[in-house]
Amino acid sequence: MTMERDTLTGIILASVREFAQMSDKAQGHDLAALDEKTRLFGGSGLLDSLGLVSVLMDVEQQVNDSQGTAITIADERAMSQERSPFRSVGSLTDYVLTLLHEQGA
Amino acid sequence: MSRLAWMLDKFAAAPDKPFIIWRDEAYRYGWLLEEVRHWQSRLAAAGVLPGQIVTVEGDYAPTTVALLLALLEQQAIIVPLTDSVEAHKPEFRQIAEAQVIIDFKQDAAGSITHIPATVTNPLLQTLLAAGAPGLVLFSSGSTGKSKAALHNFDFLLKKFQHPRHTFVTLTFLLLDHIGGINTLLYTLANTGTIVSIDNRDPFAVCRAIETHRVELLPTSPTFLNLLLLSEAYTRFDLSSLRRITYGTEVMPERVLARIHDILPAVELQQTYGLSELGILRSRSEAPDSLWIKVGGEGFETKIVDNILWIRAESAMMGYLNAPAPFDADGWFNTGDAVEVKGEYIKILGRRSEIINVGGQKVYPVEVESVLLALPNVRDVAVSGEANPITGQTVVARFNLIEPEPLPEFRKRMREFCRDRLAAYKIPARIEIVTEEQYSQRYKKMRRREV
Repeated sequence: MTMERDTLTGIILASVREFAQMSDKAQGHDLAALDEKTRLFGGSGLLDSLGLVSVLMDVEQQVNDSQGTAITIADERAMSQERSPFRSVGSLTDYVLTLLHEQGA
Repeated sequence: MSRLAWMLDKFAAAPDKPFIIWRDEAYRYGWLLEEVRHWQSRLAAAGVLPGQIVTVEGDYAPTTVALLLALLEQQAIIVPLTDSVEAHKPEFRQIAEAQVIIDFKQDAAGSITHIPATVTNPLLQTLLAAGAPGLVLFSSGSTGKSKAALHNFDFLLKKFQHPRHTFVTLTFLLLDHIGGINTLLYTLANTGTIVSIDNRDPFAVCRAIETHRVELLPTSPTFLNLLLLSEAYTRFDLSSLRRITYGTEVMPERVLARIHDILPAVELQQTYGLSELGILRSRSEAPDSLWIKVGGEGFETKIVDNILWIRAESAMMGYLNAPAPFDADGWFNTGDAVEVKGEYIKILGRRSEIINVGGQKVYPVEVESVLLALPNVRDVAVSGEANPITGQTVVARFNLIEPEPLPEFRKRMREFCRDRLAAYKIPARIEIVTEEQYSQRYKKMRRREV
């Protein structure tokens, strides 16, 4: 079963909304108006490090549950990328799709 | 000279009092005295010499208790091995340098076999030179290799010579555990009665309490949680219970509060013991409080960097198969993190089990205590998992009462935790498991990272 990009973006946005509510950094952001360009972490990002970890693990579990895969989003490989895959909703979507593709899903 | 004359004299003065209820049958102190004499002649006839290292292999039985006393009388070094360590028996015999095997598994009367072995371990040699009996206890090894603690049995016996109140005491700890040995010696030294049961199911335990009018229940927080969930306490008359003691692991506050609600007349007392040191006397600040005072005669305590250190007269001599864990002044680092309030301390958890999320400390039991209150949760074990962003994250593995899809459960858990736990303490990953997460000794097993 292939995961559609839109479906994945939807999962990520819902997760970001849930965890951003708990973060002080999200003050002043309109959580209803998030999109692929929304910055997740660093600078004006919505999430603190704990929020980011929570989102990544939540997305990972939801994707693995629905796709029957065993991807790991936050690991040394992700951390050693030249540009962080966790900077925005769009870059995270791309990265997860790459991981799924590698697992043949 | 008889080492146990003081104890055997008490038996002789109470011949009709049961010392043990085993398989629902009472065995009396008069019987025990005769059985000790019987074992003494059997050991002599079989050529078991004073000072030899003897394994006692089998689970609780009246005759094993008599054998233990007979071996103590002749200054043996005793190695209790229960059926739960069946696969490790050859290895354990070798570590203890056993010379005689007394096995109850094949023959309920006990078969005596000599094996050729020379005592080469310096600790064993020191104990033999001192002319004292010994006890070798193997740690459960749930977190690695089993360590063999060697005790001078005279030091363990010493504190029981002071008479104390006797109780009808239920036990499911066996003789290969410091808590089991402690309960047995306390009871015998005060001619009390032990109720020994094989089946540790909450219903079987409650039935035994009702039938034998049990007064004292030494147990663990894990068992008390199962008791609450089973609601077995509603089906039996537990009015004979006077005191419940709990130890071996940290008590979740919620479990303690509920036990206190259900059994308000029962005194709840936390104990603190380690196979390396023996059992410390302790006093709880209040029945539903986790603040305790530990120590008493023969024990000194100090706290260094929030870790509890203990120096004990009854401390083991050392491990037979690992370096000595004591510092130059004889202090033992318990590895337990504590909070201090005046003379009282609260045990927070094993230092090795503390989870560090981005520099903030999380104690598994605090999280478990909250999660146990979540509907449909039967049991939960919390541990840490490596994470490249925050160092570690919190992982929770649940046993559920009724099956529930993981996504729905995850959502429910997070909503439940939102107002009850700081964000960094909320499990980031959860699993639903079907295997039980506690050991045969009813102690929670939390997974460790490899």
